[in-house]
Amino acid sequence: MGPAATLNRASMTPRRRPTSEPPRVRRLLIGLALGFLALFLVVPLASVFAHALARGWGAYLKSFHDPVTFSAIKLTVIAAAIAVPLNCVFGVAAAWAIAKFRFPGKQLLITLIDLPFSVSPVISGLIFVLLFGAQGALGPWLIEREIQIIFAVPGIVLATTFVTFPFVARELIPLMQAQGRSEEEAAIVLGASGWKTFWRVTLPNIKWGLLYGVILCNARAMGEFGAVSVVSGHIRGETNTIPLHIEILYNEYNFVGAFAVASLLTLLALVTLALKTWVEWKNASAPGANHGSSP
Amino acid sequence: MSIEVRHITRQFGKFKALDDVTLKVESGELVALLGPSGSGKTTLLRIIAGLEFPDPGPAQVLFYGDDVTHLPASQRKAGFAFQHYALFRHLSVFENIAFGLRVRPRATRPPERDILQRVETLLKLVQLEPLAQRYPAQLSGGQRQRVALARALAVEPKVLLLDEPFGALDAKVRKDLRRWLRRLHDEIHITTLFVTHDQEEALEVADRVAIMRDGRIEQIGTPDDIYDRPASPFIYDFLGNVNLFHGRIHEGRVLIGDTAFEAARGAGGPQSQAVAFVRPHDIRVTREASGRSTLAARLVRCHAAGPVAQLELERLDGGAAFAVQLSRDQFRQLQPQPGEQLFVELQNVRVFSDDYSI
Repeated sequence: MGPAATLNRASMTPRRRPTSEPPRVRRLLIGLALGFLALFLVVPLASVFAHALARGWGAYLKSFHDPVTFSAIKLTVIAAAIAVPLNCVFGVAAAWAIAKFRFPGKQLLITLIDLPFSVSPVISGLIFVLLFGAQGALGPWLIEREIQIIFAVPGIVLATTFVTFPFVARELIPLMQAQGRSEEEAAIVLGASGWKTFWRVTLPNIKWGLLYGVILCNARAMGEFGAVSVVSGHIRGETNTIPLHIEILYNEYNFVGAFAVASLLTLLALVTLALKTWVEWKNASAPGANHGSSP
Repeated sequence: MSIEVRHITRQFGKFKALDDVTLKVESGELVALLGPSGSGKTTLLRIIAGLEFPDPGPAQVLFYGDDVTHLPASQRKAGFAFQHYALFRHLSVFENIAFGLRVRPRATRPPERDILQRVETLLKLVQLEPLAQRYPAQLSGGQRQRVALARALAVEPKVLLLDEPFGALDAKVRKDLRRWLRRLHDEIHITTLFVTHDQEEALEVADRVAIMRDGRIEQIGTPDDIYDRPASPFIYDFLGNVNLFHGRIHEGRVLIGDTAFEAARGAGGPQSQAVAFVRPHDIRVTREASGRSTLAARLVRCHAAGPVAQLELERLDGGAAFAVQLSRDQFRQLQPQPGEQLFVELQNVRVFSDDYSI
């Protein structure tokens, strides 16, 4: 074998980097990861649609003609439509306060924002029952004024808002902390009012982070089960949201119906995922992209 | 007096950032606030801009005689350039510069055509016309600083405040940009106060330099004044490029070792112990001793590359080392060899009583 042959052989085998593993190990690890992904994500996802379409498209579409199903969808949309904007406003305000100002009790506020994540959703629901229920602290006062919160739409909205409370704020706090205050200071020295500074400087700088938080918040608001289940009372056609309605259909052995409605939530998840990817991509390619945190 | 601050004190917890500072900047002047980090210079600048507030008391900030102490930053009409530029990252260079005009209330906002014209003029002034549509992330540090300056100038500020304007730039760009700033100032004559920790920068650019230390102004004067007649050992030390000799004051002269030198008195009491400061280029080197006015020293090493030759000498009586700078001509005439014994004569000696240790 001449030197030319050696050279040739060397150029044929890809050069190994010091951190790379032997091919067998690599294949094993990739295989494991993909297998896990298939078993726990792809198969369940496919099976939702398989079950939903088990009796064909006719039966699938018929599931949505049910007025009870329709009312569950409507209630879910109402709950999300109230909870998401509320948490959006709150999240921006909280993140603004935490990131841009020093004040006593700041650490406590950060901890409190995380509370809904650290408490079981069932407990969250229970808190509202204990507060607003007939036997609850404010129960008699509410009954006197004929205001119903528990087992009614307001309770569902409250529980949804509570559970989805941290999403926007948590997304924005690290972003705004990384951006600091100097751009706002520059705007103010240039003569901008506080309001104009917010609309023209603060908001454009956080818009992608905010959108990301809103998407996650919305996904959770529509999919929340535990807390809503406790306060809803499961009144068909009145206080059932999509997830609760799916459970009822399933328990009644109406598999096609259950999975058909479930496929709606699954689609929502896929759309969320697509939007999330799009926002991340937009965020990275935005002019002057220079972000403290990538979500 | 276009900027005047009186009795500004600012305390952060136990730390006194500013301690009863009073400062006047004449109309059209370019003044540098020079000091080590933590000396309070940035805090003072931010208080003047209205981004920070002095402790309650007799503190006052005046622009052209008007008391602005209680005006919010947005109404003071001060141009401010931040150390890290603080450009609006989502806006183009053009829109960054136009920002201050666009955010005005409708009644005082100039028409679109005037805004366009004004931004164009400023782009020309800072030599960035081709980059108008770029975003801050696409600019170099020097370009960003020029955009920041143009943005500050767009609102026709009464005064211009610059916080470490060249602090984040590399040495070459720094030098170019500070000369550019000087030319710009000569062109538009706006009263300017700028903060820096770089003594060379302050001495080169400013009409007057105020040196700060521990929240107080230690000395204020022209660059010549500051360099030739530092008011304290601290300033000598901070400006650098100086030799320190310990000695005694005797009949108006300073005794270093056995040699007496003429010396100007700096601050200090009548103590006989003293420190004397001499700049390396104020030391004359000869081969022959001339009576009692020269000190004997041994040449340790020298290097002659560059515009001046740097010599390092050691006193024969005690061995304290000091530095000497000779011009190339002087160096060529003398041709000193390392290890050789030489004699030095100290000129422009300034002495301070010995209660200051570096």
